[in-house]
Amino acid sequence: MPVQVLMPQFGESVVEGTITRWLKSEGDAVDEYEPLVEVNTDKVDTEIPCPVKGRLSQILVDAGNTVLAGTVLAMIAPESESASEMKQVLTSLDNQAATEKMELSADVAPPKKPATQPIGRTSNLGFISPVVSRMAQEYHIDLSRIQGSGLGGRITKNDLMDYLEKHAEGSPISGAIASLPQPAQPTYASPVPGQVLPLTAVRRSIAEHMVFSKRTSPHVTTVMEADLSRVTAHRLANKEPFAREGTSLTYSAYFVAAAAQALKASPIVNSSWVDEAALPGGGIRIHSQINIGLATSLGEGGLIVPVIRAADGLSLLGIARAVNDLSNRARLRQLRPEEVKGGTFTITNHGTSGSLFATPIINQPQCGILGVGMIQKRVVVLTDERGNDSIAIRPMVYLSFTFDHRILDGAIADQFLGKVVELLEHFGP
Amino acid sequence: MSEYDVVVIGAGPAGYVCAIRAAQLGLKTAIVDKEWLGGVCLNVGCIPSKALLKNAEVAHLLRERGKEFGFTFENLNLDYGTAVKRSRQVSDRLVKGVGFLMRKNKVDVFMGAARVTTRDKVTVTDNQGKVTELTVKNIVVATGASTLVPPGWVVDGDKVVTYLEAILQEKLPKSVVIIGAGAIGVEFATIWHSYGVEVTIVEMLPRLVPLEDEEVSAELTKAFGKKKIGVLTGHRVVSVQATADGVEVKVASEQGEKVLQAEQALVAIGFRPNGRGLGLEEVGVKLSERGAVEIDERMATNVPGIWAIGDVTAKLMLAHVGSAQGIVCAENIAGVETITLNYEFMPRATYCQPQVASFGLTEAQAKERGYEIKIGRFPYQANGKALGLGDYTGWVKIISDAKYGEILGAHLIGPEVTELLPELTLAQMMELTPNEIARNVHAHPTLSETLMEAAHAAEGHAVHI
Repeated sequence: MPVQVLMPQFGESVVEGTITRWLKSEGDAVDEYEPLVEVNTDKVDTEIPCPVKGRLSQILVDAGNTVLAGTVLAMIAPESESASEMKQVLTSLDNQAATEKMELSADVAPPKKPATQPIGRTSNLGFISPVVSRMAQEYHIDLSRIQGSGLGGRITKNDLMDYLEKHAEGSPISGAIASLPQPAQPTYASPVPGQVLPLTAVRRSIAEHMVFSKRTSPHVTTVMEADLSRVTAHRLANKEPFAREGTSLTYSAYFVAAAAQALKASPIVNSSWVDEAALPGGGIRIHSQINIGLATSLGEGGLIVPVIRAADGLSLLGIARAVNDLSNRARLRQLRPEEVKGGTFTITNHGTSGSLFATPIINQPQCGILGVGMIQKRVVVLTDERGNDSIAIRPMVYLSFTFDHRILDGAIADQFLGKVVELLEHFGP
Repeated sequence: MSEYDVVVIGAGPAGYVCAIRAAQLGLKTAIVDKEWLGGVCLNVGCIPSKALLKNAEVAHLLRERGKEFGFTFENLNLDYGTAVKRSRQVSDRLVKGVGFLMRKNKVDVFMGAARVTTRDKVTVTDNQGKVTELTVKNIVVATGASTLVPPGWVVDGDKVVTYLEAILQEKLPKSVVIIGAGAIGVEFATIWHSYGVEVTIVEMLPRLVPLEDEEVSAELTKAFGKKKIGVLTGHRVVSVQATADGVEVKVASEQGEKVLQAEQALVAIGFRPNGRGLGLEEVGVKLSERGAVEIDERMATNVPGIWAIGDVTAKLMLAHVGSAQGIVCAENIAGVETITLNYEFMPRATYCQPQVASFGLTEAQAKERGYEIKIGRFPYQANGKALGLGDYTGWVKIISDAKYGEILGAHLIGPEVTELLPELTLAQMMELTPNEIARNVHAHPTLSETLMEAAHAAEGHAVHI
């Protein structure tokens, strides 16, 4: 009795996905949780794991096609017909809720690793209703964290809604990154001159966002430079201990940490313009949490901005772990939809590709974006307490801050950027 | 002087259920009622009216559909007096049952008017004027509600009546104006019409059963129209006057005023909670403007040790809601595990012909709340059991959330639909979706198959239509 593999719904606004590549062919044996197919939406790229152990009996949607969530992509012939598994298969057959539930349990865990909390199937959670199961799937929620208020402690839809409300602005970043798989190199056909390249969902989405942002906000960019002597020294001293924790201490972590503290000092920068259409009289919404997006290049696959939530509450180690984890999984196309949502400020580290300074485009509806140039040893003139000048060689970086002039004026923007510079230059325990 | 853990004031379906549950939980319990064990519901409400409605169904069958079913009569004699006597027997039997349950659970019964004198004292004055004082740790107010009669209307109990006189009277008027098209109005319309009474039903709001889904109202209006029950919706009653040989009811609508004449008028526009006159305000219990006792989700009032349940709380004036409140209240008093009631999803049953049953949100309400909805429908015309019964007006309509499948409401009109609700309310409570209902195999041939089919329809694959 075959089991359906469905196109999942990746988020509230993402209702369709494109099949990028089938990782298995018809007739291949597949394991439960084994990645089956790569799909691509306008927000994330991801893999759909196989719901049961068996054989891929039929591929119903070929690569390159875009289909709605809920579309049957393939049929799996389960391997075992033993009594217990038979039962599982029977419930799955033509039973969307059950099928989704099973996909979910696979979905929340990295491939090939057992699900930390297989939703709907753990005995200690009690009865999980189909409605709760569907919601948990959409929001990728670990139901064991939720206190049930229903009869006999059952987790009800309301419990889930309450939980979502409380955790809407970001869940704690989980640490512990064990040996991560190396990012796979995406394979793209090299463009042929004269050819019109078809737009990928990601390309189209980036194009729309950029044009929309330029049209929406009057962009102004201000540039300052920072001396990273202390940051460099700190990094050199702490790289080893961090590595022992399994964390690679990158410069990005320092920029996120400095931006988070500067945003805390200037809440007006951690804001969004609210149109009159959305709120009578309009306004400027000051966000209650500092969620910093980190623009991550996927090479020709475009650009994605995973978000570090409540960054101001994290230690440097916490930030470094989050940066590692998110950028690794971004390159592996394993980000979950909610991990690219809810940012209140963005940092783009264009220096990694050699750029000295740039005028980045605001990630709407945020107020500003910080561009980080290449760290370069430059000759600088230092003045000591007595006013004596001297020439020194220092690791310098240009920081460009593009801001929405509707919200900020130059002086306030410079104050914020000045704070970032100050925090970096005086970095230390 | 006796001391109690719990004294329940009012022995209706909220009060007596609360008393039983309290006693089961080991609390020393007494119940007080000035008139009836079982309250309005058992004595002059839900129960006797169902007996009369059964008579009405048979009467309608014999009078209107004898030919279709192959029964012919020389002189068909419908004795309404016997119908009423039967309804009294049914009531009496159940009331005796409540008395038995009180004894079985060792709940002391005091017949008389109760008054709360202090936070821990209740006095009961019986009809001989003898006063008994009870000392009590917890007082549960379950005094119900009374017919709402607008100022200037005189209920004389003969020509202008409420449900109370209407259900007890053994005579049948030749013609009647029913004011109010809620459950009581449409049920009496069904009873009287079946016995050949000329019925006109007047409703201020634009439709019959105005709290139900709009499509239900439309279907019921169609069915009443076929039977030639007069329906005047969107008509406000200006005055009700008894005359020498009947009543004159002046009604007004956008088209102007007119006067309806009939032998009797039934006032059934609603109820007002009986929260006043019990001494509650004097001990500091907060009442609403309408006189309802204000409670929290535990059924507690603002005064510790004083609780309230049932119609007097004006949450949903339905017997089963009162009983459910009673159980929750007793469990909270005893401090044992209980639940929180969601009043939005309480079942509602109306025993007009065709019957109406519903719970949850109407289609309009679901849309107002911003749900993207899926609707599954199935008509009784395509149900074998309904055709066999010769009773196939109506349909089932299940409303669910398109996103997560949550059942948001269901609206049924048709044969015995009041019996079909529990499957749906259980599904709603356990947060099942139409998919599970559709896959639950229903016995054939039953009326309940329509639920399965409507659920299939919601999932996009109805079989028998």
